[in-house]
Amino acid sequence: MSGSVYKVNIPQQKTTWYLPAIFVGMGFTFKKMLKNLFDKKQMPTLNYPEEKYQYSSRFKGNHVLTVKKDGSIRCTACMLCATACPAQCISIIASEDEDHTVEKYPIAYEIDMLRCVYCGFCEEACPVDAIRMGPEWQTPGLNGENFVYDIKQLAYRENLNNGKGVISVVDEKERHQLI
Amino acid sequence: MLKCTINGKHVEVKEGTTVIQAFKMLGEEIAHYCWHPALSVAGVCRLCMVEIEGNPRLQIACNTAVTEGMVVTNKSEKVKDAVKWGLDFHLINHPLDCPICDQAGECGLQDQYMKFGKYDPEMAEKKVNKHKAVDLGERVVLDSERCILCSRCVRFTEEISKTNELGIFNRGDRSEIGTFEDKPMTDKYSVNTVDICPVGALTSKDFRFKQRVWFLKDRPSVCPGCSTGCNVDVYYNREGFWRVKPRYNPNVNDYWMCDEGRDTYKYQNKFDTVVVGHRGEKEVMKNVNRVINPMHITGGHAEMMDVQFLLQKISEKLGASKPADVALVVTGQSTNEELSAIVSFFASKFDKKNIYHWQNEPEKWNEFDGLLMRGDKNPNTKGLLKVLEQNGVQAQLWKPSLTAGKLTIVVAPENHSAYKDFSAMVKWAGSGQSTIWLGPGLHEDMGMQGEWWVIPGKTTFEKKGSFENFNGHVQSFEPVTTVIDAAVSADEFVTLLKGANFLEIHKIYRNPVERVENQFIFERGEM
Amino acid sequence: MAEVKILTEHYHDDNYRTVDGYLAKNGYEMLKKALKMQPTEIITLVKDAGLRGRGGAGFPTGMKWSFLPNNGEERYLLCNADEGEPCTFKDRMMMERAPHQLIEGMIISAFAVQSKKSYIYIRGEYFYAADVLRKAIKEAYDKGFLGKNILGSGFSHDLDVYCGAGAYICGEETGMISSLEGLKGQPKLKPPFPAVKGYLAKPTVVNNVETLASVIYILRDGVQEYRKNGTEKSPGTKLFSVSGDVMKPGNYEVPLGYPLKDLIEKECGGLKPGRKLKAVIPGGTSAPVLTAEEAYKATMDYECLANMKSMLGSGAITIIDDTRCMVDLLGVITHFYHHESCGQCTPCREGTGWLNKIVRSIHAGNATVNDIDTLCKVADNMKGRTICALSDAAALPVLSFVPKFRSEFEYYIREGKSQVRGISYAQMHH
Repeated sequence: MSGSVYKVNIPQQKTTWYLPAIFVGMGFTFKKMLKNLFDKKQMPTLNYPEEKYQYSSRFKGNHVLTVKKDGSIRCTACMLCATACPAQCISIIASEDEDHTVEKYPIAYEIDMLRCVYCGFCEEACPVDAIRMGPEWQTPGLNGENFVYDIKQLAYRENLNNGKGVISVVDEKERHQLI
Repeated sequence: MLKCTINGKHVEVKEGTTVIQAFKMLGEEIAHYCWHPALSVAGVCRLCMVEIEGNPRLQIACNTAVTEGMVVTNKSEKVKDAVKWGLDFHLINHPLDCPICDQAGECGLQDQYMKFGKYDPEMAEKKVNKHKAVDLGERVVLDSERCILCSRCVRFTEEISKTNELGIFNRGDRSEIGTFEDKPMTDKYSVNTVDICPVGALTSKDFRFKQRVWFLKDRPSVCPGCSTGCNVDVYYNREGFWRVKPRYNPNVNDYWMCDEGRDTYKYQNKFDTVVVGHRGEKEVMKNVNRVINPMHITGGHAEMMDVQFLLQKISEKLGASKPADVALVVTGQSTNEELSAIVSFFASKFDKKNIYHWQNEPEKWNEFDGLLMRGDKNPNTKGLLKVLEQNGVQAQLWKPSLTAGKLTIVVAPENHSAYKDFSAMVKWAGSGQSTIWLGPGLHEDMGMQGEWWVIPGKTTFEKKGSFENFNGHVQSFEPVTTVIDAAVSADEFVTLLKGANFLEIHKIYRNPVERVENQFIFERGEM
Repeated sequence: MAEVKILTEHYHDDNYRTVDGYLAKNGYEMLKKALKMQPTEIITLVKDAGLRGRGGAGFPTGMKWSFLPNNGEERYLLCNADEGEPCTFKDRMMMERAPHQLIEGMIISAFAVQSKKSYIYIRGEYFYAADVLRKAIKEAYDKGFLGKNILGSGFSHDLDVYCGAGAYICGEETGMISSLEGLKGQPKLKPPFPAVKGYLAKPTVVNNVETLASVIYILRDGVQEYRKNGTEKSPGTKLFSVSGDVMKPGNYEVPLGYPLKDLIEKECGGLKPGRKLKAVIPGGTSAPVLTAEEAYKATMDYECLANMKSMLGSGAITIIDDTRCMVDLLGVITHFYHHESCGQCTPCREGTGWLNKIVRSIHAGNATVNDIDTLCKVADNMKGRTICALSDAAALPVLSFVPKFRSEFEYYIREGKSQVRGISYAQMHH
């Protein structure tokens, strides 16, 4: 087969002389630098810690557990997210609710953010819109423990409506009315 | 014998066989809910429709007897359509709350809908609302909305457990299962109704919301609860055992088992898990209920050590003791293999007279409730007596005073609840005696005083061995999984004493629960 | 042709309900005659006379009696007086006016099938009829027509009245047997049939009030005379309960095969003035409806109505004129069957509810035209899929109302109001 024969281009004398290219490059850099100095608005980069980029609403960041109107957690502990999760980072302990219209709810819901691959399967698997992938991702921590998020962090962290949580739209009663 | 043709396959059946039985014999697929091989025919789900040649109307297979030369099919379009609609009728008022339903994953509605369903629902009206999460007593929870009124549970209490506790109340689509005047169900076999419930209407309180069934695997074993020796399937995952269900064996337990036997997994788990507190402040408590590490305890001070090392010490200790100063206590809760190993070992080295049989309430041993439960709560009493006889041992009943001052090897029973004097015995053993304690269960008084060599024992579901039940039926079983890595059975204990290497003889049975990708439907055998 | 009064000959006589009044009209004569005959003779006679069950199914009575196995087991005769079919009221009149006629008929039938014990299962709402029957049974015991060694023949028989609690389904023979056994009134799975394993798992015959009473007149008149009335395949006379929009509703005894048109116009005095016939339900609400054209062609016998894809049923004829809204009427019927389904078989339990809900949503103006098809599909799939015939009874009206009066249903859905009355369901009922 002829496919196994490769042609190798040996550089010509002219192209091995780098100096002109360096000047062209530096010229470009300085041009941009001067432009950025005098007209900041057209600058494509951000001053990161002070300025933050607005991500698309489809961005898959840290998980958010939604809540019902009364502020209790929406999740019914069906464990479909844990089933769908390819990284097996979700662990749930379900329990019986005293409210019989709710029946089942999670007493513990933990996501190991370090194991999470942010695939969004949990969001897709959820039958009640209880878990969403939120917009945040810049969430540093000092050790591994800080990355195991529990219900408190997933549903009621400070930046979700001042700790009140994100309300998912359809309520159980409304759902019945729709039918 | 009658000849008939089912879906083009020829088969010969006995007289009186119903068409559905012939289908099952051939392994042909047929939809059904109300029919159960061990119960009478109700004929109410109307799903096992078949077309019989020469009969213009579709017939139900469960109430049609096979006649000579009958040609039956359920592959025709007519039947398929009837089954589709039949399933749709089942589903129109079903709440479809699979996410919070424990049955999801092993549900008859899910399974059969995937096979026979009509995928374009036409029901646009409001569903009927019924009672949800009804407490039916100690062990069973009822959800009337999910119920398809197949009446299997009602027939079970009528025909098998004979308590007649359940009934169908009201009529039409307002029908609901219930107990008379909402009295709690006191049936000793109540959880069988959960097993035979094809949907999630009846769920077990014990298993309720603990696990999703698709995270569990099951393996066969034998129930150690009493001398009946019911065949069971044990459901487990990495964390331990979660539930016990009966496995069909026409010679022993048929399709059933008692409620008490279903609790036998609890003491075999490493932790006793309880949820405490109220909504929002609930907490999961884990109490250790098994011996986890081999220990040498003297004067209330425990020293954890390796099994190998501990056994070496024990071996030395035994070697230094006079044969008359060593005693062995055995119970009918160990397997035949364990018993014969330890008894013959003891008989060869020490005084046969010092072998004792630890019994509890032997006067109750002949009690029988007419179905499965027996008064003898040891699964292997018969085997034990046989082993003792084979070794020429006339074992006395163990009383603490008999072994006072001796180095006593206690092969402790695993099921403490059957031993009323267990606590007292542990206390006694701890009152300044020297005890080699081989047992799985942990007791608070263990090792308070005296000298103890505690070796974590294996439980039935971890062991390989055999039990001989009350009528001499020997049933062998394989380990389900290993909960405590360091645990040894009595036969392994003997082998180790003889100088074997722990790592060589000890196998850890761990069948990790691997999930197949996108595997949501589990086939759990026949409905 | 006109009314032929055989059963109802003396019904106008108030004394007829007492034993003396009954004896005065040659009552219990046939019992005496029967007791001298062989039981098999009576069965052959009834078979030859071609008497067909008057309860609804029209099954030949003599044949039913001969199905009983000869295994020496105790046998039961049950009289089905649970007249639950909407618009039927013939049995009630028979029991109230002539209880001894039924008792005599039952003793003769019991003798024919050699039963020592029989029950009259009467519907709970007929407490007056039950009273009358109880009184009459006491009288019959006193006169020696019931009890041990009846009239010195050596035949003993006991008769009892059992009141139902008001369930339509207990009019179904196995449902009735369940109820009589003290169980929940639910039909039993067949086979085994009641003739083999019925009441208390013993051979049992279940017959309608009118059927049992008719046996007397077969004995009295003989086969030839009895067959003079009616058609070849449906001999004899039958009581028809005519109700609805006619001038003179009521019970009429006419020979089978009597033209429906004559019944409406001659016996019942025609329709109310200025009204036009729109439809007729010929055999209780579970029978498919006939349009006016069909009704004028129909004769009241089992065969003709079966050819018209309807049925004679219990003989309850409901006349519907042009002021009635068929959608509204269907709502009444579906509600009835939804309420009365025993809930045993899934297609019926869920299907009756579903049908009712669809019709209600048509009434409420929430339905779409597709729902008419759904209605038919649901009904079609309920038909013949259950233990008893209640599911058929619920499905057949739907399957006849909808195709025959589809335009009315479409109008109702389109306009949200009745085509006939011009107002909606809510306006009509509040």
